[in-house]
Amino acid sequence: MLELKPIINALLRSKVGAVLAILQLALTLAIVSNSLSIISERVSYLNKPTGYPEESIITFSVMSFDDKVDANQQLIVDERILKSIPGVIEAVGVSSVPLSGGGSNSGFSLTSEDDGKHTNSGHLYANEQVIRTLGVKLIEGRDFTSGDVLISSEYAKQPDVVIASKAFTDEIFGEGRGLGETIYYGGGPLKVVGIVERMTNAWPRFRNADRLIIFPMVNANGFQDFLVRTDPSLRGEVMKKIESVLLQENPNRVITNMKGLDEVKERYNSKDILMLRMLLVLITALVVVTALGIFGLTQFNISKRTKQIGTRRALGARKSAIVRYFVVENLIVCAIGLVLGTVATVFLGQKLMSLYSVPPLEVSYILITALGLIVLCIASVIFPAKKAANISPSIATRSV
Amino acid sequence: MLIMNNIGKVYQTDMVQTHALRDFNLQVNEGEFIAVTGPSGSGKTTFLNIAGMLEGYSSGQYMLDGIDVGKLNDNQRADLRNQKIGFIFQGFNLIPDLNLYENVEVPLRYRGIKAAERKRRIENCLEQVGLAGRAKHLPQQLSGGQQQRVAIARALAGEPRFLLADEPTGNLDSLMARQVMELLEQINRDGATIVMVTHDPELARRTPRNIQIVDGQVADFTLYQGKGAASQALKSQMGA
Repeated sequence: MLELKPIINALLRSKVGAVLAILQLALTLAIVSNSLSIISERVSYLNKPTGYPEESIITFSVMSFDDKVDANQQLIVDERILKSIPGVIEAVGVSSVPLSGGGSNSGFSLTSEDDGKHTNSGHLYANEQVIRTLGVKLIEGRDFTSGDVLISSEYAKQPDVVIASKAFTDEIFGEGRGLGETIYYGGGPLKVVGIVERMTNAWPRFRNADRLIIFPMVNANGFQDFLVRTDPSLRGEVMKKIESVLLQENPNRVITNMKGLDEVKERYNSKDILMLRMLLVLITALVVVTALGIFGLTQFNISKRTKQIGTRRALGARKSAIVRYFVVENLIVCAIGLVLGTVATVFLGQKLMSLYSVPPLEVSYILITALGLIVLCIASVIFPAKKAANISPSIATRSV
Repeated sequence: MLIMNNIGKVYQTDMVQTHALRDFNLQVNEGEFIAVTGPSGSGKTTFLNIAGMLEGYSSGQYMLDGIDVGKLNDNQRADLRNQKIGFIFQGFNLIPDLNLYENVEVPLRYRGIKAAERKRRIENCLEQVGLAGRAKHLPQQLSGGQQQRVAIARALAGEPRFLLADEPTGNLDSLMARQVMELLEQINRDGATIVMVTHDPELARRTPRNIQIVDGQVADFTLYQGKGAASQALKSQMGA
C-alpha cells in the first residue's frame, strides 16, 4: 500500500518545502551531470597519449645577445655539443615546443590557389634530427635527410617536403592516404614524404591537437628553443650539464626554461587540472548540500508531524508503513526534481556548448547522475524515516 | 471484551520509579459504555494507552477479545489496534494535509481494504456523523465539533468492536459536547463497546457505568440505573 494519492494531495497542500527540495534536486542534476561530462572529457584528453616519450625529453631556450654570431651556424654547433653529453640520444633546435601552448598554426590546402578551403594544423621548423629527437613513430614514408633541410633566414622561403601526423593527412586527403601527395602553404607546394602515427601540436586542449606538420628548415634567431632526448634514467644528469657545456662554448647567452617535456605538458594542463579540482569540489559540495537538504526536509517534516505519526500508528500503521510513507514522499519529490532537472540539464548543456565549446552532453551522464540522486534521496530519508517509525503511538493521546 | 488482571505500569527514570498503574483490575463486557474518571495524574491516560495498545505495561495480563496482548509483537499489536479498536482523541488528531474523506480513509488503507469498499464505508460513516457533503473539506475548514465528528467517523469506518475515547468533548463547547455525546450513545446502542476517559462528571453520569481511578487503581465504580441492557447485565453479574 503506497498511499500515493494522499501523499501527492498532502504535498500539493503543503508545497513550500517540497518545492525547495525539487528546485535543489533539479539544479543538482543540471550542474552535476554537466560537470561530470566536462570532467570526463577533460580527463580523457589529459590521459590521451601525445606520441612523445615525455619523460625522456628536455626542453630549454637559449637567449643570445651576441649579434656577431651566425644564429643558424651556432644552432648546428650547439646540437653537436648537446649530443656529446653522455646519455643524450638526439638533440635539435626547434621553432616551437610541442605541448607548450605556444607555436604556429596555419591553414593548408590541396591547391596552389586560395579557394578558401583550408585544413588547419600546427607546424614547426627543425632539421633532420627532429623525428629522432621527438621519439615519434614514422609509420609511412621516410625520415628527413640533410638534403631536405633548408637553412635560411628568409621567411618567404620554404622547403620542398614535409612530414605530417596521420591525423592531418587523414583529414586533408582521406583515411590512409597522403604519402607522396602535395599540400600547399602560402601558395607553395610541400610534398608529404613521411607520416607519423601520432604527434601532438602546441595546443593539446584543442580539437585539432593531433595535427602537426614538420618543415625541414632552420631559421634560427636570438631566442632559440631546443629539444634534447635522453636515456630516461639519465635525464636529470643531462639537465644539470646542459647549461655549463653550452656556456663553455659561447658565454654570451642565457639558458632558460629548462624542464622536462612532461613538466611542459603539466604546466599547460595546470588550468584544466585546477578546473577539474574546482568542479569536483563544487559538485561534492552540491551533492552534500542536497543530501543535507533532503535529510533536513525529512527531519523537519517528522518534527512537524510527530503527533500525526503517532496518530497513524494508533490507527494501525505498522512501523514499516511509516518508513514507506516518508520514502515514497521523498521519491515523489525526487522524481519531480529529476524530471525538471533533466530539462534544466539539457538547456544548460546546450548553453555551455554554444558559449564555451563544451562537447555535447551524453544521455548517460544524466542517467548516472539521476540514479545517484535517487540513491542519495533514499539514503537521506531512511534514517529520519526509521526514527519517525519509532515514535510511540501513545503520543497521540498527549497534548503536544 | 477487555480484561485487565493486576496490570502494573512503572515509568523509570534515572532516579525515580513512578507507578502509574498498580494492581489494576478491570473487566469491560461487550456492549458496555463506561466512563473513566479521576483526578489529573491518577493514571487515566495510562490506562487508555494500555487498553488501546498504544504503550506496553510492566506487569499483569491484558486480554482483548480473548487475545493475550502481552504475547504480541509490534506488528501484531498494530494490526489488532487497526481491526478491533477505534480511537477518538481529545484534540481530534485529524491529519491537516488530508481532506475529510482521506482522513477517514487512513485506518482502512492500513487494513488493505479495496478502494470500492473504502468508498462505501467512508461515505456511510460521514453520512452517520452528518458530514457527507463536506468530504472534500480540509479539517481546518470545520468547527471543533465537526472535526470531532470526523474523528468519530474515522473511528467507526474500521467497524471496530471497541471504541476508546480520550476526553472526546474536552475541546468543545457545551452544545457541541452534547451533540458528540449523543452520537457516542447512538453508536453504543448500535452495539459498539465504548470506554471514555473524561473529566466531566455530567458527561460521566450519562454513561451506565463509571470507573474512578485514583493513584493508579480502580478506586470506585458507580452503576446508574436504567442505562442500557449491558449495565443491567453487569448489575446482576455483580449482585447489585
